[in-house]
Amino acid sequence: MSGRRIVVTSGKGGVGKTTTTVNVGAALAKRGHRVVLVDTDIGLRNLDLVLGVEKRIVFDIVEVIEGRCQLRQALIKDKRFESLSMLPAAQTREKEAVTEEQMKAVIVELAETADFVLIDCPAGIEHGFRSAVAGASEAIVVTTPEVSAIRDADRVVGKLHALRMPMRVIVNRVRPDMVRSGEMMSVDDVCDILSAELLGIVPDDEEVIDTTNRGEPIVLDDSKRLATIYDKIARRLGGELVPFSNLDEPGFFGRLKTLWKVG
Amino acid sequence: MMEAFEQPAESPEAVRPLGRAIVITSGKGGVGKTTTTANVGTALAARGAKVVLVDADVGLRNLDIVLGLESRVKFHLLDVLEEKATLDEALIRDKRSESLYLLAAAQTREKEDVDTGLMKALVETLRARFDYVLIDCPAGIEMGFKNAVAGAQHAIIVCTPEVSAVRDADRVVGLLPNDWRPELIVNRLRPLLVKKGKMLSVDDVNGILRLPLLGVIADEPNVIVATNRGEPLALDALSETGAAYRAIAAKIAGEDVPAPEVRPASTGIFSKLGSLFGKRG
Repeated sequence: MSGRRIVVTSGKGGVGKTTTTVNVGAALAKRGHRVVLVDTDIGLRNLDLVLGVEKRIVFDIVEVIEGRCQLRQALIKDKRFESLSMLPAAQTREKEAVTEEQMKAVIVELAETADFVLIDCPAGIEHGFRSAVAGASEAIVVTTPEVSAIRDADRVVGKLHALRMPMRVIVNRVRPDMVRSGEMMSVDDVCDILSAELLGIVPDDEEVIDTTNRGEPIVLDDSKRLATIYDKIARRLGGELVPFSNLDEPGFFGRLKTLWKVG
Repeated sequence: MMEAFEQPAESPEAVRPLGRAIVITSGKGGVGKTTTTANVGTALAARGAKVVLVDADVGLRNLDIVLGLESRVKFHLLDVLEEKATLDEALIRDKRSESLYLLAAAQTREKEDVDTGLMKALVETLRARFDYVLIDCPAGIEMGFKNAVAGAQHAIIVCTPEVSAVRDADRVVGLLPNDWRPELIVNRLRPLLVKKGKMLSVDDVNGILRLPLLGVIADEPNVIVATNRGEPLALDALSETGAAYRAIAAKIAGEDVPAPEVRPASTGIFSKLGSLFGKRG
């Protein structure tokens, strides 16, 4: 049975697609799943940096598609998580170098030997978005609780609906204090607007900046609050019913109680 | 093709010198292009300049929200390009500032619908009527980027102190015309994190990009609040961030503004950044 093909998308850039892809992927691998991460942001690749494998890139997805190397030659195995590998994007090419059909063929081939293929989508809704989505059978929509991010996510949700693609939402960079003071939209509000099922809530944590710059997925360190949160997302993705609780931020819990109806 | 944007014959502005068209771009999304466009435009208008902000993010527009003008959008960029509306019908005047206008992007269309030649002609027409044409570029380097850059003569690069943002910004600088001299705004700096060696410093960022530094904006939660409310901080006399935007506007207007405060260089992450870009020829 071939693995699940999940695109991580958002519409707006900079909301955390790549960070989410890496950490959810690593959390799944930590649980023993075979995971491949695919960077489809041709020309502006970054997944290699966030995963910390940028110096080990030999071949990229465009070279695979153009037949210059084997798929397995281009895959980079992560040294920390045994069952995690990634397929890098080309940096000096254009997104038009890959058609939707070619992208789909590569993703489907990867899914033959993986449990999860996570596809990191570029920002926007142009050709790069369409190719990334073409290879997927389900989607994770990442958004932040900001009006502009939600508007863009809503546009993407509409496009995914039209494709009848199942999707769930991760609300990223939530600042509980700002939600409480009414300065930030609550997760409830976000899910209401998008009318989509919730997959995870990730609080804003400045540690992400540092670990991202260092190329160390935050899930490497079990003591980190976000490691627990990404692990829960991984379990939910695997089909477990994990309640949206235990966000050990005092006060956060109260505001989110109402979310249980979604879980 | 210029007839599409014909000006009223009685316009006294017909003889004014052409304004400057500046594209605000970054490569990476979510680094603050739209917030920068809104705030710098607001600050320029507050100095008395005639400013038009052009949202080039067809399909994913947001500049209207940041300015609080979303319910006033009737016509958009593509309506003008396709002659379904005149420029005057499509230009939305800002709520607060008399000399600030917005040309919104289409929300339900695709970036591929924009004709690069027509876009260039439109920016040219706007330059005849405004002192500054600020073009808010979409993320990425696809068609939307190319159209946003097409009519401009100058670029402001917005970059956050993150390795991925620096890499994308560097790529974008390489895609801009060779004779341009783009200027840099380092956005969302957290001086405390820089001090702890957990964030790149302005020097780290610009050690790679090597661009004239136009400004540094600190990360503050007020920006999110202001954005959600549609009230640019540039008008807030008490906000430090507002002051930083006003200084950027002064610099763009040609005033001799002291260089933005540059924090001590971090050491922690610098080696990684260096090795990443060291490979280039």
